Order: sequence, then structure tokens, then C-alpha cells
Amino acid sequence: MDFEMERFISALIDRSPPHALVHLQLVLIPVIVAFLIAFPVAVLLTRRRFMRYTDRVMTFFNMGQTIPPLAIIAVFFPFLGLGMEPALFALTIYALLPIARNTLAGLKGVPQEVKEAARGIGMSEWEMLMRVEIPLSMPVVMAGIKISVVLTSGTAALGALVGAGGMGAVIFAGIDFFRAELIIAGTLVIGAIAIVLDRILSVIDNKLTPPHMKM
Amino acid sequence: MIVLDKVDKVFPGSNIPAVKQVSFQVDEGNICVFVGPSGCGKTTILRMINRLIEPTSGDIYIKGKKVSDKGLNPDHLRREIGYVIQQIGLLPHRTVEQNVALVPYLLKWPEENIKPRVRELLDMVGLDPDEVAQKYPFQLSGGMMQRVGVARALAADPPIMLMDEPFGAVDPIVRGRLQDEFLRLQKEMKKTICFVTHDINEAIKMGDHIVIMNKGELVQHGTPMEILSEPANSFVKDLIGTEREIKLLELTKSGEIVNKKAEIPETVRQKDCFISVIDPVQRALETMMKKDSDLVGVRDKDQEIGTISWNDIKKLINKLSGDA
Repeated sequence: MDFEMERFISALIDRSPPHALVHLQLVLIPVIVAFLIAFPVAVLLTRRRFMRYTDRVMTFFNMGQTIPPLAIIAVFFPFLGLGMEPALFALTIYALLPIARNTLAGLKGVPQEVKEAARGIGMSEWEMLMRVEIPLSMPVVMAGIKISVVLTSGTAALGALVGAGGMGAVIFAGIDFFRAELIIAGTLVIGAIAIVLDRILSVIDNKLTPPHMKM
Repeated sequence: MIVLDKVDKVFPGSNIPAVKQVSFQVDEGNICVFVGPSGCGKTTILRMINRLIEPTSGDIYIKGKKVSDKGLNPDHLRREIGYVIQQIGLLPHRTVEQNVALVPYLLKWPEENIKPRVRELLDMVGLDPDEVAQKYPFQLSGGMMQRVGVARALAADPPIMLMDEPFGAVDPIVRGRLQDEFLRLQKEMKKTICFVTHDINEAIKMGDHIVIMNKGELVQHGTPMEILSEPANSFVKDLIGTEREIKLLELTKSGEIVNKKAEIPETVRQKDCFISVIDPVQRALETMMKKDSDLVGVRDKDQEIGTISWNDIKKLINKLSGDA
């Protein structure tokens, strides 16, 4: 395979942008949906009433990440067909585990004496969750979201195989037509998306966490 | 003020009760100290008073009201009771000001009342509000954190305070200072305080009333003087330790044994061998040794009112310890 600078620049500037937008959707929507599912579930699993389900639920989240997204798409093909929906579905399941695991770890890491004192001065369970447990576990939760974002950015390239589009389309075109420029351009853009999203999350994290509590 | 009536606590999964048939009463404005070895049930009793733990049987009353009443929300009960623990448990992500303001905030005080109250409290516990209010707990020393913990417990001016080894995590010098300051504060506040410690000396110093616990049972209760002069059994004797007489001398004011008829000899004046009536008798003993004298003069402010001799102290010890 040879490499021409002109083709490479054209692949980056002309060909990539629309695919990059789709790719962004393939990352953001699954991560947001995964957060909306995994975070509350993990919070519930740290409450006394639901603690005994922790192992079973975490096994399910674990499976979500062990089974390849393509296999999930294949299994759900009869119901969801091809295209955007099955890709989003598979990527969401894939993104659940890091968020759930880190939320659990973050909440369990809140120092016992802080919880004891908070309860002792009269915080209700809800106030304690909102003012003590969630704020104190935020750095660990954010780390989990970042892991999910980076993982999903890479895996979303497979979306192109089921017709969802995204940067995978550029890379697979490069593979099909022996064009190194397309493969490299596609890979670079995916990397850039992962890095930019990670930085944005870091900025949010900095705003949420007092300086001395950063991870 | 606080009454425990035949309270039992058996923790699930254990067949030995942590607290066995404990009954006693804490009077309003008093400091009641629970003392005993680890696992004796003293902390369990404290945590049952504000319902962090529910008793297995028996009743607890605060101001005549049963705390386990169904209509009483335990969270609301706890907001009316100050709570200080050894590990302090300040919120690490909140400033000192926000930490102290927690209970007033939970009680929904108007915003404009909270800030001045926080400043007043920090001042009260001996911290400079301008210096510490905006700091985070990790920026404070252990002693300062403990002061913030006390300020937080006092924030909403609760009539009752529960303190679980509040000065246990600081070095002896800071501990002594915190104890003195707290006693000075208590003279003005007149709170009803339940105080847990494993240190009998701290119990004698802080307590108006001492409750001695062992293996979940109440062994003896009474004023420090009663406990020291009439230990109920060998367990209490061991707990008090070897310096019983000296501790008794710490508890007796010089004014109680001063010999008012005696002339003050010239040698005492020459050596400047004087103590105040409010000094403990122990001070008389120290002064005698330091000035090499058998007699000290006693002053009430500037007035010379009499003397204490070595024999007076010996008589006191014999009387208090009950054996010659």
C-alpha cells in the first residue's frame, strides 16, 4: 500500500467530517444511556435493601462487556435488524460495566466515619446520598465514565459493519480498496474524538471536585 | 433529662448481650461519663440514645419523652442532639464553614442567620474564623479538626450532646487543653452531656457523674468522689489504678480543709509558700515539696485566710480512702 499526502488530507478534510459526526453519536448516546442505567442501579445496589443482588447484577454487566458487540447485534438481529439502532443497543450494553463498577467502588470508598458522623447529626438517607456519598464518590464515577467513553470510541468503529456508519466506514473503505490514507485518517479521527471527549470530561470533573480530592 | 430503663441490646448473630439491663439517669446540665474497657457497651449505650442503634428491650427517655416513639423521626431526633466522635468525620469535600453549618442547614435556618452563627461557634471553640472558615478539613491539624467537630455539634444549640472519645485522637498535651476549654465552655452552656472514654483520668476530670461499665453491665455509678472513695469492687479498683489517693487530692478543693484558726508563721511568708482556696489539695502538696515546708498558707484572692499542714492532708487521705 502506498501513501499519498494529498489523498490523506482529502480523506481527513472532505471525507471524514460527516462520518465523525455519526461516530460521535455512536459514542455519546450509548455512554449517556449507559450512565442513566448503570449509575442509579449501582446506587441502589449499595442500599441495604438491594445489597444482596449486587453479585447477580454485576455478573450481568460483566457479560455485557465480555460478549463482543457484534455477537449482541447478531443475537438481536431478528428484533432490531441492521443500522443505527442495533449498533447503539450493543454499544450501550458494552459501556455499562465501567460506569457501574466505578460507581460501586466510589460509593463503597466513602469513609465510614464520615457516614457515621453525617447520620449522627441527623441527615436522612436521601440527604446523605446527595450531600455526602455521591459528591465524595464523584471522582471515581467520573473515571468510570471516561473509561467507558474511550472504550466505546474504539468499539464504535464496528458500527460500520452493520450499516450504522461512523468512522468505521472510512477505515473499512480503506481496507477494502487498499488505501492506507483512509485507514490512517479514520484511526486518527477516532483517536481525536476519544481524546477530546476525555478532556471535556476532565474539565467537568475539575469543576465538581475540590482541588485536594482529585484522583 | 436522659433516663435509661432496663435497656438490653443483643446484636444480631451474637448470643452475648452487648448491654445488659442498664438503668440510670443523667441530670440536666451534667456531664455523665461512661468509662470501661473496649467492648464494655459504653459506645452502644451512647448510640442507642440518639437511635443510631435500637435497643433490644427496655426504654430510653429524653425529657420524659420516649425516644423510640413511633411518631418521632430518628433523623429529627438526631438534629436536636449534638454528636461528636473520635474520628470526627468532617466532610472532606466541604469547607470548615460548610461543615459547621450542616445542622442549621438541615434544620432550614434562614441563610443570613447561618454565617454569623458559624463565626460565633468557631470563635467559641478557639479558632479564628477569618483564618479557618474557608479551609478544607485536610488543611487543619488534628486538634483543630476536633474543635471544628465540637463546633459542628454545637451549631444548632442542642440541649444534649453525645461525645464518643472526642479527645481520644490527639496527643496528651492538646487533649488536656481541649478538656480544659471544653469544661470552661460547659460552665456557660450547661448542656446535658453523655461522654464516653476508656481513660479513668479523663472521666474523673470531665465527669459530674461517672458510670462504670464492664461486659455490658453497669458496675458502679456516682460522682467521681464517690467512685474514688468507695470503689464497688476489685474491677473498679483496678480501673482507678494505683494513684487513687492522688486523684482524690485533685478532686478536693483546698478551701475544704483549710485551718482557718491557725496563724501564718513568718517562714511561710519568707518562702512565699501560698496557694489559693480554689486550688486542689494536690497543689498544697506540690507547693510544700517545692518550697521545702510542712505548711502552706491559703489565700482567698488577696486575703490570707489560714493554713494547710502536712498532717491535715494525711488526715484527709485517711478519711477519703477509708483505711488508715
